[in-house]
Amino acid sequence: MIKRISWNLLITRYPAFFSTILLIVVLIVNAIVQPNIFKLDTLNGNMRIFLPLILLAVGQTFVMICGGIDISVGGIVSIINTILATQVGLNGSIEQMWKFVLISLLAGMLAGAINGFFIAILRLQPIITTYATGFIYAGFALFLLPNPGGGIPRVAADIYRTTTPLGLPLAFFVIIVVLLIWWYLRSTRYGRFLYAVGGNKESAYQSAVPVTWVILSTYVISGLMAAFAGIAITLLSGSGNAEIGNTMTLSSITAVVIGGTAFSGGIGGVAGPILGSITLGLIQNVISFAQINTWWETLVKALIIVVALAAPGVINLFGRRK
Amino acid sequence: MNVSLSARNIVKHYGGVVALSDGNLDVKSGEVLALIGANGSGKSTLSKVINGVVVLDGGQLLLNEKIVHFSSPQAAKDLGISIVFQELSLIPQMTVAENIWLAREPIITAGVIDKKLVDMKTMELISLFDGTYHTDLRPNTPVSDLPPDERQIVEILKAISFDPEVLILDEATASLDSRQVRRLFELVKQWKEAGKAIIFVSHRMEEIFQIGDRYTVLRNGKTVGSGDIQDINENDLVKLMIAEDSLLTFIRKEKNDRENQQPIFLEINHLRANNLKEISFNVKRGELLGIGGLQGQGQRDLLLSIFGDIPFKGDIKLNGEMVKFRHPRQAMKKGVALVPGDRAKEGLLYIRSILENLILPSWKKYGFPLNIKKSITDAEQIARNLKLIMAGLQEPVSSLSGGNAQKVVIGKWLLQSPQLLLLDDPTKGVDVGTKGEFYTLLSNLCDEGKTILFYSSDDEELLGLCDRIIVLHDGKLHIELSGDNLNKESLIRASLGGTHIGGV
Amino acid sequence: MKKFVISPPIAALTLAIVLFLLSGFLPNGYGSDVDVAIAQATNIVRLAVFLGVIAAGQTLVIISGFEGIDLSAGSVVTLTAILTYTIVSGENSMVIPALLVALVVGGLVGFLNGLGVTFLKISPFVMTLGMSGVVTGTIIVINHGNISGKIAPIMTRTIARPISPDIPIPGAIVIWLIFGVFMWLLLERTTFGKNLFAIGVNRVTAKLSGVNVTWTNIGAYALAGSLTGFGGFLLVGNTGVVFIALGQPYLFPAIAAVAVGGTLLSGGKGSYWGTMAGAIVLTLITSLLTTMQMGEAVRRMVLGATLLALISIYGRQRSLRQ
Repeated sequence: MIKRISWNLLITRYPAFFSTILLIVVLIVNAIVQPNIFKLDTLNGNMRIFLPLILLAVGQTFVMICGGIDISVGGIVSIINTILATQVGLNGSIEQMWKFVLISLLAGMLAGAINGFFIAILRLQPIITTYATGFIYAGFALFLLPNPGGGIPRVAADIYRTTTPLGLPLAFFVIIVVLLIWWYLRSTRYGRFLYAVGGNKESAYQSAVPVTWVILSTYVISGLMAAFAGIAITLLSGSGNAEIGNTMTLSSITAVVIGGTAFSGGIGGVAGPILGSITLGLIQNVISFAQINTWWETLVKALIIVVALAAPGVINLFGRRK
Repeated sequence: MNVSLSARNIVKHYGGVVALSDGNLDVKSGEVLALIGANGSGKSTLSKVINGVVVLDGGQLLLNEKIVHFSSPQAAKDLGISIVFQELSLIPQMTVAENIWLAREPIITAGVIDKKLVDMKTMELISLFDGTYHTDLRPNTPVSDLPPDERQIVEILKAISFDPEVLILDEATASLDSRQVRRLFELVKQWKEAGKAIIFVSHRMEEIFQIGDRYTVLRNGKTVGSGDIQDINENDLVKLMIAEDSLLTFIRKEKNDRENQQPIFLEINHLRANNLKEISFNVKRGELLGIGGLQGQGQRDLLLSIFGDIPFKGDIKLNGEMVKFRHPRQAMKKGVALVPGDRAKEGLLYIRSILENLILPSWKKYGFPLNIKKSITDAEQIARNLKLIMAGLQEPVSSLSGGNAQKVVIGKWLLQSPQLLLLDDPTKGVDVGTKGEFYTLLSNLCDEGKTILFYSSDDEELLGLCDRIIVLHDGKLHIELSGDNLNKESLIRASLGGTHIGGV
Repeated sequence: MKKFVISPPIAALTLAIVLFLLSGFLPNGYGSDVDVAIAQATNIVRLAVFLGVIAAGQTLVIISGFEGIDLSAGSVVTLTAILTYTIVSGENSMVIPALLVALVVGGLVGFLNGLGVTFLKISPFVMTLGMSGVVTGTIIVINHGNISGKIAPIMTRTIARPISPDIPIPGAIVIWLIFGVFMWLLLERTTFGKNLFAIGVNRVTAKLSGVNVTWTNIGAYALAGSLTGFGGFLLVGNTGVVFIALGQPYLFPAIAAVAVGGTLLSGGKGSYWGTMAGAIVLTLITSLLTTMQMGEAVRRMVLGATLLALISIYGRQRSLRQ
């Protein structure tokens, strides 16, 4: 009895605990299957692939802490990718690249603001709203780039590919920056607002927390992070594809769930989702390397996601039964 | 500090129900005003009006002789009025310190919260209650880890951290143990001396006399008396709280005859659930047993346990047979029916039609495909029996007045011919005329041999209708009233936890 | 919030008629030729049949409340279509068995959805989205990308062709009408239907009135899966071809159709007639866009915007200040 209680406490108080253990397990499996995993090149390669998902998961975390969800992130990623691929193009200059990177960030924030308007101000339900806007955004991406093509200058993609400041993957630095920003926000009133709104909206309102603005801001942040993710994935693939964001939405939600941020809001930090994204990425890595029949790959990946999503529920179920 | 707060002729209604028709109150610096009243007297509404949570419909609030209007709870706070709720305003996932200082944490450079200062100030506040808490009540403990008494302490600390001029303690001692109450009263004395004005809303006689300087009594939405505590005693206070002349003169006839002849129908032994700490009693067939006591003393948990809606420990015997219902459906099969306490949230499907609400538990009887014609006939019959006033069976139940909506809640069970009826405050928010019809209905049901368990927050109702009343206090059966003891004074006194003349 | 006095299905139908009349003025429209108009109208309704049947399952889960939705519908359609295709293999005698398989398999997927949603407390959106991936993965495993089969002549005869030379109504429409009556019976003339509405409005009241909330909920998802399976069966019977993305384009319009038809997305109120009207409206919109030669991108944006507009009108929630 006592053992089970403390297990439960651990999960709720330190959500990153469960995901850390999972990560270690997956790392070990990965090391077995792909022995050179800790070599810089492989590490760098892997982290670059994981980075877009990490950024998305972080954005999703903000929304989820306040009890919402953002299904439109995949669509936003696609828009950013198509903007860069069409406006900068393979022959674009670095200045153009920078210009459109900035425009992309603004576009992401705008998309998030639109979400926030419908959800925070018109008080519509987050799931169905972001599902609808996600569809609109995906359509817009397709509008910008009806067929896969376009791209970004080789130079930019190469920089992303090969940069290893201080001998560590670029992604590490991005993660550290994200963690620092999160740590800062956590120590401000805004950080407290997030948890207050997620914990109990009415009580937060009674305590003079500006609930509407807080919720709106989380969607803007999610949009911004989706834009960053879009930039990262464009740098990774080097080309344009309007469908590129389609699978990323579910992955971002799964990463957050693996990372331990509860769906109902009010708890969780950013560390969990980051670990969750890496774990999910490593799992997919293992699958690729385990030489599973190509035909089975899709199914196995989907099953992993369902299992990951079901795990908290199953744990809870047994917790409740006892 | 020198402050005075007055409420003059406050009027407040919720929909068709009048909560306050003439609420009056005066309090000034350096005194504790005890705000007293029975269930439904309007005392919590009055304190909500003062705090800015609800907007008054009539009358005036005067702060320091000037008229004030509150547009939000925040506005009241800004003017120096602070209220201690019953742990309603805390965010469970956040820590003690975070909850107390939410939205006004001291900051240092770049918007970063000065955690050291926050912790220090929180410790200062916590130290006010030193020696009275069991666990480690620290600034960084999440509120969800705290037991109810310590959460209440946090609520008190939060309210006092605003350094208010007027402090309202609304049933704030309900979750506290005696040591904590003692400490709170010591603090109240200090705050008094510092010039604060304190309004103490409570139903505990002992505490009222311990801490109160003056008193104001509310009854049926009106202030009926006020004065100095030293000039009055418990008996007279109770008399003020009870209505002298009631609008209701319904009394069941010939109650006593039936009492001894019938077998025991319902046996409850050592029942425990949520707020219900331990209860045992019997009910005879055809009896109308009243459950009295103030709200939240476990009455609801009792009814829900019998109906199978919540888990419980203990034994229940129905008609000699041991039963342990795990789902209302099982209870229904054995002839038990429940009329829940909140008809909007628990008793009705608000957007669906009257017909669908009436037939909800009974659709299985109508075959496949559902014989809607028959269901309409049956529903019309029930509606006639209950004298339901409606535009038509197809209208949504939201179109009905409170009394008629409640008729639907009861009506849906009549088709099931229950043997045991559990009623959770069924006449709340119902007009006088409809109440009378209910009483006749319940009386008839008992005459037919049905057994009824009836919880009401309206004391006169209980006294007029019931053969016996068990009064719950603090989750236990405090006293059983019957025969000569079935009078208003005994009931009120028992509800307040006091002793009474004669009895169990 | 405006309250519409006309019942939503009729409003939707009126909208459809108005749109259709307007479409006559378009360059490719029927102009003033009544015969062509009737032919076009019949065609629209015939196309709407498949969307309508697929949206039936969606109607059930949305009525069940608690943010009910079925995002696995698209992949279930594809799966059951492929199974039908393979099992029938051109033999008339295998049609009934194939239909049964479609219903059972669809029901099984729905049942799993129901379990996850009810017992594991996973949000319906996430559960069905995850399930969608699993189903798609299963499809790939079953078929190894190579789908061989054939529909039976009787299917084409019944579904795609008019029921008799004298009556120019395609069999599909007749099937749909019978289906509509079946759905009406299910929702309005069975205890299950009444219970379904009850749990959609208020689960506490339902439980306290003796409704088995758990199994009604699971039943809703299981039935929804079966009905979607029927949709897949019909779809392949109509076109005679299958491919991996067969069902996906129907998913979003199905949800929009339910919303247009007046079923509250919060649950507890609605009808299948409304969904039918909604399916016609949405098919009309799609076909208009095609006639105006707007591509897939615009189609997506218009559909997304339609849903968004609908929930803005019907879906606003309570404010924090009373």
